[in-house]
Amino acid sequence: MNLSRSSSSDLILDVDHVWKIYCRNLKRAMWYGLKDVGREIIGGGRDRSHHDLRSGEFFAISDASFQVRRGECLAMIGPNGAGKSTMLKMINGLIKPDSGSIKITGKIGALIELGTGFNPILSGRENIYINAAVLGIRKREVDGLMEKIVEFAELGHVINDPIKTYSSGMRVRLGFSIAANLRPELLLMDEVLAVGDVGFRMKCFAHLNELVKQGVSIVLVTHAVGMLQRVATRSVVFGQGKIVHDGDLETGCTIYEEMLGASDRVRAKKKEEPGRIGEIGSVEVCNEAMEPQAEFETGETVRLRIQINAREKIKDARLIVALCSPVHGVLASVSSPYQGIYFDVDPPGRVITLEIPKIPFLIGAYHFNISLFGREKVDFYHRSSLRGVFRIVGPPTNADGYGINGITKLQHSWEING
Amino acid sequence: METEFEKSKPSGKGEQPIAVARRTPETSQDVNSDGIKASGQDSANVTTYSAQSSIRNPFQLIQDIFADFWLGRELAWRLFLRNIRGLYRQTLLGLFWAFLPPIANTAIWIFLRQANVFSMGDTQVDGTVYILTGMILWQAFIDAFQMPLAMFNKNRNLISKLNFPRESLLLVGVGEVLFDLLIRLLLLIPAFLIFQVPVHATVFYAPIAILGLVLIGASLGLLLMPIGSLYQDVGRFISMVLPFWMIITPIIYVPLTTFPGSLLNWVNPASPLLLLARDWLLIGTTDHLAIGLIFAAAAIPISLIALVVYRVSIPVLIERMTA
Repeated sequence: MNLSRSSSSDLILDVDHVWKIYCRNLKRAMWYGLKDVGREIIGGGRDRSHHDLRSGEFFAISDASFQVRRGECLAMIGPNGAGKSTMLKMINGLIKPDSGSIKITGKIGALIELGTGFNPILSGRENIYINAAVLGIRKREVDGLMEKIVEFAELGHVINDPIKTYSSGMRVRLGFSIAANLRPELLLMDEVLAVGDVGFRMKCFAHLNELVKQGVSIVLVTHAVGMLQRVATRSVVFGQGKIVHDGDLETGCTIYEEMLGASDRVRAKKKEEPGRIGEIGSVEVCNEAMEPQAEFETGETVRLRIQINAREKIKDARLIVALCSPVHGVLASVSSPYQGIYFDVDPPGRVITLEIPKIPFLIGAYHFNISLFGREKVDFYHRSSLRGVFRIVGPPTNADGYGINGITKLQHSWEING
Repeated sequence: METEFEKSKPSGKGEQPIAVARRTPETSQDVNSDGIKASGQDSANVTTYSAQSSIRNPFQLIQDIFADFWLGRELAWRLFLRNIRGLYRQTLLGLFWAFLPPIANTAIWIFLRQANVFSMGDTQVDGTVYILTGMILWQAFIDAFQMPLAMFNKNRNLISKLNFPRESLLLVGVGEVLFDLLIRLLLLIPAFLIFQVPVHATVFYAPIAILGLVLIGASLGLLLMPIGSLYQDVGRFISMVLPFWMIITPIIYVPLTTFPGSLLNWVNPASPLLLLARDWLLIGTTDHLAIGLIFAAAAIPISLIALVVYRVSIPVLIERMTA
């Protein structure tokens, strides 16, 4: 652990072999809570060794270690229940780890939930003072920041009206503006990137980037992976309480997307029933030379090799193939009849290959949903989801407006006029 | 009120870093204009969270508690103002609601006494003033007793999502109890005039007993808070027990002096200080000085223990709130 301690002065956050135990059963959880309070009071709070779970308990976090340095923006990503928010709560000191330690150098400012503590009856200005006081800021300092906060939130015209007359977007803007203008050394944010309208969101990103440049460290939790590239510099991916990736953002996002797909795959598999006349067998993603391959670059040729199994002869079969992303859903769908192709399948089956030349999609994880039909709409044989998983791993995209970004690479050209 | 608050702040010290790091004593370091600590001064302010109970180091713990009371004073003041303003901004009758419970209670008991339903004993002053004073003091005691759990429940959202000096919530709670008490004590002015109760010098001692009464009520409530926040049974039990508790407290009658009734004065934590405060307010002499002072003195260590319990239990409670 802590291999790179050479620049330890820049270490803002050090999460060291942290474990956290939760209990899902409500009655038990309350009883354990009571026992834990008692144990804390008599001084028995201790490192719980890694395998003494009480009945009904599970590891919400197992053996997590990572570090954040000055001026780094770390994104914690993962499916629901993977332990991201729990980790954020422990870093914020709201709950204690059951084992291991968390060291923080400097001051923490948290945006766990925007606008917590707003009183609807009081005016925006009064609420700024209260919210700032909750975050530990003196009135004198708030007075100095007041103009900046109000201006950033773009609420100058209503700042003396009661908060209950604000729209939800206005409240969110005010909350973000307060927390973001306070300049802590470590900023914690839980699902607050998707705030306000696009214009305000861009302003938030610009502001966060500015903070990072000035040496503020940020740890953020979000499901809006698409937005991460605008701020985050590194990612830690959680899967079932464990850290499965700690490193660059692109790989992290791809792994996360794959995890989303994987959980859907398990569900889809359960639904499969035996005894079909025709079904989708093995599916392989290959390169131009028909060698199996899982990683591609944008613009390369992807070939999908689909094995169709048949117990009886299928006449005039047609295939529908949808290319999907776990995050964005169906990106494109093609069918064999579109190019006038119907085919017969004799038992035991045959192989159909779909070629996608110059695949236009950008970095991310992708898969196919494949359906097998006969000539008529009612002649349905089989649908198979989440097949042929592959990744686009390059070239890099750019979210700051200096390259290309989004889902697909758009063919385009510029012309300077007048 | 704003200016009053301005005055109460310490002057001098350099600019403080803006966001507050918990459990780290404030150090006066140089901070640049943005509030970010200049590099090269990184040795300060390391916060560590681990599984160990903070109670293992009791002196540090108590020191931290008082540091957080200090850190949380401004927040407490803000929240106090917020609650008071919020409370009366959306009512038609405003402060009248603070007066209502003791007046209504007193009226009922006076009516029952005049119907000879019960006898009060020799109260030495007019029975109405006697009951009214008792009711006001009792109301302050149970307000204080119920305050910690009510505070915790009302601020669950804040507590579970933000790390701030939670002691400030207790300051707010006690502040609100005392605020309501002061408003209600104003009722005594017309009552003294109407019923021609002479004012004794002991009135000036009364605040000691009253503060002791509030402190002991709040401390007992604070000790119950962790269980009460986990199990709603506690809150239900308390609201069921309160009427009986009021009856065994000498509010509408003079305290029993014969055994076993006199035992109630020793086992009922509300009794001794309520009696002492009332005697000092109304009568000028008291038989409850010794027992009252014993209870007032006991309130101090009890409150310390309660504060420790409050502090160490909060992370566990948050865990159970969100898990």
